[in-house]
Amino acid sequence: MLKRGQTTIFIIVAVIIVAGVILIYMFYPNITSVIFGAESPASFLRNCIKDDIDNNINVLSEQGGYSEPEGYVMYKDKRVKYLCYNAQYYLPCKVQQPMIRAQFESELSKMTRTKADECLNELKDNYRKEGYTVSGGSNSEIKVEIAPENLKVRFNSPMTISKESTQSFNGFDVEISSKMYDLLMIATSIVDYESTYGDAQVDLYTQYYPNLRIEKTVLGDSSTVYVVSDVMTKESFTFASRSVAWPAGYGLEG
Amino acid sequence: MDKKIAIIIFSVIVVSLFGIFVYAEGVSSGEIVNTLEKTVCCEKTNGGLFCQDVPDNECASDRKIPTSCESTSFCKGGFCFDSVEGTCLDNVPQVVCNQNNGTWSDEFPPQCNLGCCVLGDQASFVTLTRCKRLSSFLGLETNFDASNTNEVQCILSARAEEKGACVFEEDFDKTCKFVKRSECTIEGVTGVSETTTGNRSAGDKSRAVEGLTPAPTTPTAAPAATPSTTPSATTTTNQNAPVTGAVVSGINGSNKVEFFAGKLCSAEELGTNCGITKETICLPGFEEVYFVDTCGNPANIYDASKVNDKSYWANVKDKRESCGASSANEDSQTCGNCNYLLGSYCRESNSETANPTYGDNICASLNCVDANGEKKLHGESWCAFDSAGLLGGFIGGNSVGSKFYRNVCNNGEVLIEPCSDFRQEECIENSIDTGKGKYTQAACRVNRWQDCTAQRNKKNCENSDKRDCNWLEGIEYVLMGSVLSGENGSSSSIEGSSLQGIKERAKKVIEEEGGIPKGACVPENSPGLNFWSGGEAASVCAQANALCPVTYEKGLVGGGWKCVENCECLPGGELELKRAQLCTAMGDCGPKTNFIGQFGSGQGYKVTQEKLKGSKK
Repeated sequence: MLKRGQTTIFIIVAVIIVAGVILIYMFYPNITSVIFGAESPASFLRNCIKDDIDNNINVLSEQGGYSEPEGYVMYKDKRVKYLCYNAQYYLPCKVQQPMIRAQFESELSKMTRTKADECLNELKDNYRKEGYTVSGGSNSEIKVEIAPENLKVRFNSPMTISKESTQSFNGFDVEISSKMYDLLMIATSIVDYESTYGDAQVDLYTQYYPNLRIEKTVLGDSSTVYVVSDVMTKESFTFASRSVAWPAGYGLEG
Repeated sequence: MDKKIAIIIFSVIVVSLFGIFVYAEGVSSGEIVNTLEKTVCCEKTNGGLFCQDVPDNECASDRKIPTSCESTSFCKGGFCFDSVEGTCLDNVPQVVCNQNNGTWSDEFPPQCNLGCCVLGDQASFVTLTRCKRLSSFLGLETNFDASNTNEVQCILSARAEEKGACVFEEDFDKTCKFVKRSECTIEGVTGVSETTTGNRSAGDKSRAVEGLTPAPTTPTAAPAATPSTTPSATTTTNQNAPVTGAVVSGINGSNKVEFFAGKLCSAEELGTNCGITKETICLPGFEEVYFVDTCGNPANIYDASKVNDKSYWANVKDKRESCGASSANEDSQTCGNCNYLLGSYCRESNSETANPTYGDNICASLNCVDANGEKKLHGESWCAFDSAGLLGGFIGGNSVGSKFYRNVCNNGEVLIEPCSDFRQEECIENSIDTGKGKYTQAACRVNRWQDCTAQRNKKNCENSDKRDCNWLEGIEYVLMGSVLSGENGSSSSIEGSSLQGIKERAKKVIEEEGGIPKGACVPENSPGLNFWSGGEAASVCAQANALCPVTYEKGLVGGGWKCVENCECLPGGELELKRAQLCTAMGDCGPKTNFIGQFGSGQGYKVTQEKLKGSKK
């Protein structure tokens, strides 16, 4: 009888623990606020903006760093930007975008701006609900910086919050772990190879960088699509090139 | 004697096929210009591409000049220097570089000169600006040597400096960092642990704002335009040497820094707070699994049998002296001496790998198994061809729609890289014996078939330095150059005079070559043709058309017509098969199957007999 009672108690405790874990999992940001007190502004902004950033990175990384690419090839239903192109046969490509990282940062900043404003407003509202007086924090300018190992979103919006004491912020930095910088620099190097020699020998890169995976696909019009990815983080960057294209036959017809 | 001359024409008909030969995988918004089109240099095309030589009607910008882009100032290709990243790209149109805030120059600019950039224990062969950029990312001082113009030497120089235990005091505790001798300074060992705060306002001490992250303690060389190298073994030291440290520098008497070459921080004799653990670590840029001490310093290569061996935790051991030297140790639970060249690399263990006896890291296998069940090493590549097979073993009888592929083993996965469509590239491969088996390397290379049919003798034809052709023996009456052009190889327009012209031409060729050509030069791998549009395919295939004058005789007194000359040209004769073979070798011509093995409709060629105009009855 006693044993049966013990078993029941164990089962009840186990169910409570499992339910607790599930709740924490589902409502993590809110629950952590409840348990550990108010989040720091940067932490709040990070949680608020991360999904949007991830989605935007996905779009950009599948389209050669452009949200609305011009001069692209369709590959697996995606518009993949030509970062190097030559309309003629037999000639090496002309670089279309020499600053791939800067382009990626600029596009990501543009795409994230709306959400960044929303997040800042939400942050201010949250402080006001907690009885803080909030000033500033409007006209947010955000800047994305991609560096090795991470991607940083800088909210250049000075803000002051006061309750019992006053806290001033020049801005907020949100960091997201990412290997995108490495992938973009490899892409830059491949574009250099394509424009100089007409074709990139991708084995060289994988020999030097064990976590690198480069998928190279030549399409029917001699365009080459490169998918550069990190085998550990699974991040990837896709772009296209058309260099030293070979026609069918003698190329007397377009 | 009356003669009747029959004309045998092997006209080539482009095979019409049931299958779909062209993949709709690449719909491009970019313009494509054929070799004969009249073009202008266009700053921006309708498709949004910069500086292309395209037909006038495909140009979207007002700036267009009826000349080649290379002859213009705004679209001329040159070097574009990115002053932020320090990268330098060639063949960038001036307008593209300027629009992206780059520095364009026609000639190779001095800021693009490469030198040796040392980044901790790694190195990168890059420009000075790039070196500064990478160093700043890693929180290191810029160490650039412009005089070192050899990439291999550069990489090796970063490895040359000995490493050891750098002992110093921190918070009244004797601690240690495992670093290079030059890094064993107060700034070197304590500086890296300093964190930089973000853009927080003065006076705000109550809340930290997430800011810049501290520089990693173990530097990693970020990829550059010129890749860096894979790290090699650690330094060998004399284990019997007395423990003596070099006092490098000190702020005061109690805060000195001592360097012990070849010693590990966990060496008991150093008396630091760094002890032995059962944990392991993968170091960026290093292939092996390393033990890690309680201070987070890497120790020797993971060897489960030496987890409690104090001498193994005291002195640096060479890779060659460690467990399982010269083997990959894939999925070994007890040995972390991974070997990247043999296909293993330090990775965190997971469901697909074995579990190590200690720690969480293992030598994961990067090798693959090909379609035939043969083991392939990481980085190894080999050729594949998707043809349904060469028809009847014909030379150049590649299936319609088939192409070559290059398979590459990468991180345990076989990647398939197609060579160019239309078999404009072919795959070549070669193997070397490494002593531990064969290592194959393959590449897609241009198929040099274009001038095969212009070769008149076997020697020139099979000159592999210049072209990829084969000599097809025994094909006579090869009257190359589209004597009978057109899809049907119509001969109705051939007059007796034309026949004479052909004969004279053939005679001239024979005289030039010093004999009768007894064969034909054809592509080794027949090119694919765009046969569903335009007329180029027909003209390429028509090069296999031939005219064979067959002579018949009839006696004066009775009897029928009897073939007396070139009778093998008659339908069903021995030459028909050879002619068909010639057709298939020219391209997507003649009796062929597609790459999934379906035959084309019809015979793929036809033989017609006609009486030549002007011949005697």
